[in-house]
Amino acid sequence: MSEAQLPAPLHAVFDEITGVIFKRQGARRLRVDIDADRLPTLLALLKGRAGYLHLSAISCVDWPQDSEFELVYHLGSYETQVMVAAHIRIPRAASRYLSVYDIHIPAGFFERDIHEMYGIEFEGSPNMTPFILTEWQGPPPMRKDFDTLGYVNQHYSWQQYDPQWLRELEARGGGLVE
Amino acid sequence: MRPENYQPVNHPASHAFELYFGPNHPGIEGNYALHAVVSGDTVERLTADGGYLHRGFEKLMEERLWIQNIALVPRICVPDPVPMEETYARAVETLGGLEVPVRAEWLRMMVLEMSRLTAHLFTFGGHAATVGLYTNMFWGVTDRDMILDLFEELTGARVYHMYITPGGVRRDLPPGFLDRLSARLDYIEQRLPGFDDLFFDNAVFVGRAQGTGVMSQEQALAWGVTGPNLRACGLQFDLRRDDPYLRYEEVEFDIPTESAGDCYARALVRRAEVVESIRILRQIIPRLRHLDGPIRCPLPNPLAWTIPAGDTYVRTESSKGELAYYVVSDGTEKPWRVHVRGPSSMHAVQVLEHLGVGARIEDIAQIMFSLDACPPEVDR
Repeated sequence: MSEAQLPAPLHAVFDEITGVIFKRQGARRLRVDIDADRLPTLLALLKGRAGYLHLSAISCVDWPQDSEFELVYHLGSYETQVMVAAHIRIPRAASRYLSVYDIHIPAGFFERDIHEMYGIEFEGSPNMTPFILTEWQGPPPMRKDFDTLGYVNQHYSWQQYDPQWLRELEARGGGLVE
Repeated sequence: MRPENYQPVNHPASHAFELYFGPNHPGIEGNYALHAVVSGDTVERLTADGGYLHRGFEKLMEERLWIQNIALVPRICVPDPVPMEETYARAVETLGGLEVPVRAEWLRMMVLEMSRLTAHLFTFGGHAATVGLYTNMFWGVTDRDMILDLFEELTGARVYHMYITPGGVRRDLPPGFLDRLSARLDYIEQRLPGFDDLFFDNAVFVGRAQGTGVMSQEQALAWGVTGPNLRACGLQFDLRRDDPYLRYEEVEFDIPTESAGDCYARALVRRAEVVESIRILRQIIPRLRHLDGPIRCPLPNPLAWTIPAGDTYVRTESSKGELAYYVVSDGTEKPWRVHVRGPSSMHAVQVLEHLGVGARIEDIAQIMFSLDACPPEVDR
């Protein structure tokens, strides 16, 4: 997408901030890739100058093959129909990033969620206590290297389920239960 | 105790008690808990405690085939499951470049609006019960069942329909379905004056709901409030118009708003949306009568179906607000990541925690129901 096709309020923002790669994804979606340390500036500019008041969500994607986490900030405006998705990558080993709660209050919920599901610490976020996995002792479960089946095998035993009707059914070679 | 022996207790200046609401409590929607610190009967601090309905949907979806996830998604929100199916299906179609046939798009709009009717009728009933108007609760649930009968006839299931699939819908209309739908819409419409008498104009409800749980438009925007709760603060914003999908641009409907931003305004917006959904459905019925064609685009072998690598963010206006799915594909037969953004993840947590402060104990349940908070959406 050329810059000429950008909605007017976004021009002001992308003139201000350099090193941003943007790509149109469909008629009403704009993907922006930016360095992690400049994301808060971008969000503040989008909110202050382009009317992107609505932080719809923050999504986290685990890329163990790149040793990175991808954080995606989905931003909406009540004036234009184009949504902006700002993508950043942070190193998986450090698992730390900055909170954007001071720019968007909804970030508090999403950062807390990502913290307990992926183990990423957000500096400055108001509440990093567990919300869903209150009694969870294991590793962050949404990480790709968390083995769901392995965890189940380690912590639970399989129930022996061998009723008479099932044995008869198997002896017949399968079919419907009569 | 004899009156002459009564000595008034001198309370210390700070006199706080902890009060636990839920996870099993009639004043809580679904399994959800609230921890309140109260002084007298005024709430000083409210903390939401979720997780009771966490079933790990996002993780499960990464381990299942694209087609298998159709069976999982409606279960994320019990009262309003169809927008979940629609949002997931549209995300897969966007990534996979599938073209949905026109008739399927109208069928999807039909079930989406039917689902909105069921969800709003359910909420009328639930909201009324929180102020003690139990008759209205039975009415709301009974009238919702009238629509569920139609869902059962169309899809074979009353709640988890799994009707919308990537590429279209699962089956076409049974003979005479549109006549029965039309008759049910007439029935719901003629019930609304009864709901007004019993609930919306009821002095008990008006007295309890007006001025309770008030948020300004500025607060609503800052807290990420969406859907009917945002429209009750005076902002006319609806994804069906402002980020349109399916064929919503071809039907006429109004976006009702209220300005007070309290529990009463939120209930009135939902009541007005029932009227608008009936209006939309009445425009869909003649379209479907005169539109033939396929209901699904051809799909490859679902067991070996791969979706090209990419990511997409898809939004739907559910009965509760902005529902969105962020779906990432790495080009294999399973999703790499699915993130579900339920509208209640704002309404049931941060918004409720803010609105609860200063409220009286008996209004906490009402505030939660007026926000139409859906805990399974928060927990996923």
